[in-house]
Parts: sequence; C-alpha cells; structure tokens
Amino acid sequence: MSQRDLVAELRAAHVEAPSEVRERVRLIAAGAPAAPRRVTWRRALVVVVPIAAAIAATIVYTRPSHDTSVVERAIAHQPGTVRASIPAAPSGDSAAKAFALPSPTNRVQKYEATLSLRVEHARDVSDGVKRALRITTSFGGYSSSVHAETHGGRATAELTLRIPRARIQAAMAKLAQLGTITDENVSTVDQTALLNTTDREIARLQKQLAALRAQPTSPDNDRRIAALVTRIERLQRGEATTRRNAHYATVSLHLETPAATVVRQHTHGPLHGVGVALKWLGIGAVYTLAIGAPVAVLLLLVWLGVRVVRRRRENALLEI
Amino acid sequence: MTFQQAAEAHLDDVYGYLAWFTSDRFAAEDLTAVTFERALRLWHRFDPDRGSVRTWLCQVARTVALDHFRSERRRVRREELAAPPEAIDFRFAEGLSPDLESALARLTPGEREVVALRVLLELDAGTAARVLGISPTNCTTRLNRALKKLEEALHVAA
Repeated sequence: MSQRDLVAELRAAHVEAPSEVRERVRLIAAGAPAAPRRVTWRRALVVVVPIAAAIAATIVYTRPSHDTSVVERAIAHQPGTVRASIPAAPSGDSAAKAFALPSPTNRVQKYEATLSLRVEHARDVSDGVKRALRITTSFGGYSSSVHAETHGGRATAELTLRIPRARIQAAMAKLAQLGTITDENVSTVDQTALLNTTDREIARLQKQLAALRAQPTSPDNDRRIAALVTRIERLQRGEATTRRNAHYATVSLHLETPAATVVRQHTHGPLHGVGVALKWLGIGAVYTLAIGAPVAVLLLLVWLGVRVVRRRRENALLEI
Repeated sequence: MTFQQAAEAHLDDVYGYLAWFTSDRFAAEDLTAVTFERALRLWHRFDPDRGSVRTWLCQVARTVALDHFRSERRRVRREELAAPPEAIDFRFAEGLSPDLESALARLTPGEREVVALRVLLELDAGTAARVLGISPTNCTTRLNRALKKLEEALHVAA
C-alpha cells in the first residue's frame, strides 16, 4: 500500500463521538455565559485617542504662562528708590484714587508724582505719548520734557508734565488709563511754613527799611537802605517762585512695553508642553532601558530554558 | 459563534483527535468532556483573529491529553509493581482495516497525534504545527516518519 492509499484510507475513516459524550458536552456547553465584549484594537483606539488628546491639550493649555512671569521679573528688577508696588494691575481710576493725596486749598505744597505704565505694543507707547500731552493740555498744564525711544520691539517714553495742582487728581486718573500701572510714586512737600518764615523776614526787613528812611540822609545810610531793598527783593522773588512752583504739580510719566523681547526669545509653540512631556518620557525610557534590559534578557533566557526543558519532557512523554 | 455552537460543530473532531492520540476510547471520552469544561472556562480568551475555533479546541485538548499522559505514566509506574498493564483492544475508527488498526496502535502517541491532526482532521501543516508547538517543517517530518512506519507495518503484515 502506497502512502497515498494509506492516507486515503485513514481519511475515509469516520470517528464519531459516542452519544453519552455528546450529551455530557451539551450539558457543559449549556452553562456557557453570553459572549463577552471583546476589546479589539479599534475599540481600544476609540478610547485611547481621545484620552491622549485630552492629556495633550491639558499639558498645552495649563502650562504656566511665561509672559506674566517675565513681565513680573522685569518689573521687579527695575531700579527705584521709593516704590509703590501694585500686586494686581488695577484700573486707572482706582489706582489714581489710591495714591491721590488731599490738596488743601489754604496750604502751599510741592507735589511730585511718578507714574510707570505698561502698554502692550510699541505703537501704544507712541499713542500714549500723544494722549498724555493732550490730557496735560486739557487740564491747563504743559510738558517740560518728552523723550521717546524705540529699540527693536521694545519702546519706552519718558515725559515730565506740569499740571495745575488743583486738577492733579483728575489728571492722574486720566493718565493712569493709558496703560497698566506698574509703579506709582507720589510725594508732597508742604511749603507753607517756609513761606511764612520768608514773609516774617520780609516784614522785619521792611520795618528796618522804614526806620532807616526816617533817619537823615547820609552816604552810609543810603548804602544800608540799598542793601536792605536788594535783600527784600530777592526774598520776594524766591517766595514768588515757590508759590509758582507749588501751583503746578510735576508728573514723571514712564511708558514702556513689557519685556517683550525677553518673552519673544522664550516664546514656546503650542506643542511645547508635549515636547517637554516627550523629553521626560525619553529620559524615563532611557532609565527603564538601562535597568530593564538586563532583567528582560535574563527573563528571556529563563523562559527559553524552561521551554526547552518542557519540550524535552513532552517529547519523552509522547515517545518522540 | 457561541460556545454551544462551537462545541456542537467540533465535538467529533476533538473526540477523534483525543481517541487517536491516547488510543484509549474510555480515556478519550473523559478527556473530551474535560476539554470542553476547560474550554468553557477559557472561552473569554479565545481570539478569532489568531485562529479558528477548531485549532483552539485542539490546543486545549492537547493540554488536557498531556496532563492525562503524565498522570497515566505515574499511575503505570506505581501499578506495574503490582500487576502488568492489560492490553486494550481499541478500534480507532469505523472503516479501517485490522492491519491498519494494528499498525496505528504500534505508533507512539506523538506519531499518532500528528497523523490525527494532519490526516484525520485534515489540518494544514502550519495549523497543525501551531497546535503541536513546533515548526511546520518539523511537523511535516514527524508526519512522514509516522506514515512510513505505518507503511512498513502494513508491508510486514501483508
């Protein structure tokens, strides 16, 4: 008999399970639960992709804002002798009111204010200068100096404004609206006592002058009268200057763009968070590889050994 | 496909495979039931993308049969001391000549297993090799060796 005939005869053989075995298996199969839902890679993908997207979006949109911190750092490092820091950028009105000092009408005071404002763009600095000059003029004041500078994406402007003391609070409120206040400094020096002293001195000198003029004319008397007149005039001019200066408040207005160049240098794209996450994943992967690779190789060798032993035992069992 | 459908469709295949593998009808009947019990427990692990139900059931049946062979070997070693094992009169299938039955009985379990898978169940070399846990080439070699032994046995009998 050839192998082909042999195979044909073997294939022609019919093997059927006995009825009692069939019945036992039917009973076993009857206890089978409903088919469970299988987790295929497509189903897994439907779940995994949105979760991954959500994680990526969270990383991207919840990363700390570098712009704010850079601006805050830039502000913190600005030089200044007396500085009034403002924790949160308040509105112009509230900031101006917070730093406004009462201005009694019967007192003569020297008022000086420094106002630093941050604007977003370089063109806002230019606009701010124009608006500041208009505000100053509208309150009856004038600008004593204006200096604006643009360098790259950064712009600054320094203005010294002279505004009538009586309207300084309203003017400061208007000026504060030109940008976000980063610094504000107000100082007043009362000049009334100084003026009173001067007045008394003038009165005393005028009394002396009247007494000298009542005496008979002599060259010596004329010289003393001339000296007294000169002194009285000098004191009166000084007093007038003090009063004139006190009539106008001096406002040093500083406009600048944020440390935008610094921000631009560190501007991160929308996928920066993903990049950072991938970087740390890479570092983790390297460590895992360094530690896990030897362990994995060892486990592989053990698995291969166990497999070989099992195969040999199996062959011996089946007499192969 | 439900488990009931799978059991109904492939019961004869599993029984035939085990019967030829063990060359013991009573053992094959018990092992068939054990196979389906185990298959029911493992049914959630079955993945149709990795192979057919019949292949998977044969793999389960093979594990069950190997456990049987191990316990049987321990039992025989124990009982051989008291009494020699009895020869079992077993018919592998309906329609086989007595000489072929005798030649099949003289094959080792490993040889009968590969004949059952490749010839009786008509599995291709790759599928049979997967059930046996060997390479397709090794499977074919093992089948050729078994058929040659059958051929020689039939030649001697003739």
